[in-house]
Amino acid sequence: MSTASKGRKARLLQVRVPVSGRQALISALGVWIAFFGVWILASGLGWVNPILVPPPGKVFATIVRLFAEQGFGADVLISIGRVLIAFALASLVAVPLGVAMGAFPAINAVFAPFVSAWRYLPAPSFIPILLMWFGTGETPKLALLFLGVIFFLVTLIADHTREIRKELIETALTLGANRRVTVFQVMLPAVLPNILVAMRQMLAVVWTYLVIAEIVASTTGIGAMMMRARRFLKTDEILAGIIVIGALGMACDMAFALLHRRLFPYLEDKR
Amino acid sequence: MSALLQIQNVSKTFDLPGGQALTAVDDVTFAVEKGSICVLLGPSGSGKSTILRMIAGLETQSSGAVLLNDTPIDGPGRERGMVFQAYSSFDWMSVGKNVEFGMKINGVPAAERRARAERFIGLVGLSKFIDAYPSRLSGGMRQRVAIARTLANAPDVLLMDEPFGALDAETRWQMQELMIEVAEASGTTMIIVTHDIEEAIFLADKIVFLSSHPGRLKEEILPTFKPGRLRNKEDVIALPGYAEMERKIMRMMREEGHK
Repeated sequence: MSTASKGRKARLLQVRVPVSGRQALISALGVWIAFFGVWILASGLGWVNPILVPPPGKVFATIVRLFAEQGFGADVLISIGRVLIAFALASLVAVPLGVAMGAFPAINAVFAPFVSAWRYLPAPSFIPILLMWFGTGETPKLALLFLGVIFFLVTLIADHTREIRKELIETALTLGANRRVTVFQVMLPAVLPNILVAMRQMLAVVWTYLVIAEIVASTTGIGAMMMRARRFLKTDEILAGIIVIGALGMACDMAFALLHRRLFPYLEDKR
Repeated sequence: MSALLQIQNVSKTFDLPGGQALTAVDDVTFAVEKGSICVLLGPSGSGKSTILRMIAGLETQSSGAVLLNDTPIDGPGRERGMVFQAYSSFDWMSVGKNVEFGMKINGVPAAERRARAERFIGLVGLSKFIDAYPSRLSGGMRQRVAIARTLANAPDVLLMDEPFGALDAETRWQMQELMIEVAEASGTTMIIVTHDIEEAIFLADKIVFLSSHPGRLKEEILPTFKPGRLRNKEDVIALPGYAEMERKIMRMMREEGHK
């Protein structure tokens, strides 16, 4: 309790008064302990059908068993591979196209009406036609992930490029920069941190489409494992799959956060 | 021999949404001598920034001509470097690389680039920060970087659009004194836009006073009471003739405000 608040009544809820590190830690732990507590009680005391809701201990044991004995690692690697390949392809198209649209209104005039129309089409609606076009191999899965993010990624990157401060561009021009120098040596480095932020956001979306693709039309990958488990009422394996997907998503997010700090050390001082 | 920069009967009309047109600058003519400091002064709406942007080549005039060394200007170019009011540092480069940037894209060899950058960073008093990122610097220091970056690129004329408008009062007059030092040391021709009367009288060899709505040349004012360029602002304010000129310009500003 700080001295400034002495003499005032200590209150739990105060508008926009920051909490201490200790309070933050206790709160964070508390909510998770409560979550697992309710889960353990519910399954242990028979409030719920233990076949439908297995206790957390069993789910974590299942995760270990899946990796150790049932070759789940291969499924995980396949899923990660799909995400990375599709996301790399989408980025390869979206970064140059988005920057070009943001830099050149003439290019934006061509692609913006096209891209923004596609954004309103839910990617999963393409699954039946993708299956007919590409069969059951990897291609339809990659295509779904690609379609799921490409239009959003292009739009985000184009917006960020358009938001580059006018003074930066005009400074470059009055220093004698031509078009190529302005785009590649000023606009691109200026927008790069925001491109990485956009990629971080969209990578989370790729994971969503991955699960849809693997549940609907796959015999391999994390989602396929979960659908197999459903057939044999192995709810512990389904929940294990969910937890693994969550952990992988979080790992990706943290990797991007780390990359951002490494690549753009000059942004550190700003905060 | 004619002046370095000539603005001849320049007008600028902006098309507004709804089919209306706004005349921002109306038939303005003046000249800027090589090596001089010319201040464009006027209330808001006098088109002073628009005139500066036309000289920079960032806007095109609706009619009239802007001549540099008797040649009509065509778009932006390195011979007319510009410093903006808002921060324009390239955040991903160190102070040194920022200042080298203009020279680098214009093909100045690396060793010469480095030497010139060091000279101009020293001139604006930032030698200690040559390897720092701009985000570590204060607002005034960032403007110094922008000034050094533009000067190191060896422009024929340095254009400044309310360069100290975002700075606090103390930093502001330090920067004004710095500009006198820089002008003396480099001999660069400068055109500075401001609405600060004190700043205008202190810096200017010639003040071009513009009236508002539309921007027209009202009067060219020569602060001849100054015996050349003085480095201390208080010395200028103490000169006989300063108060009278400030009063005269304030009256002109007030008249414009009442229109």
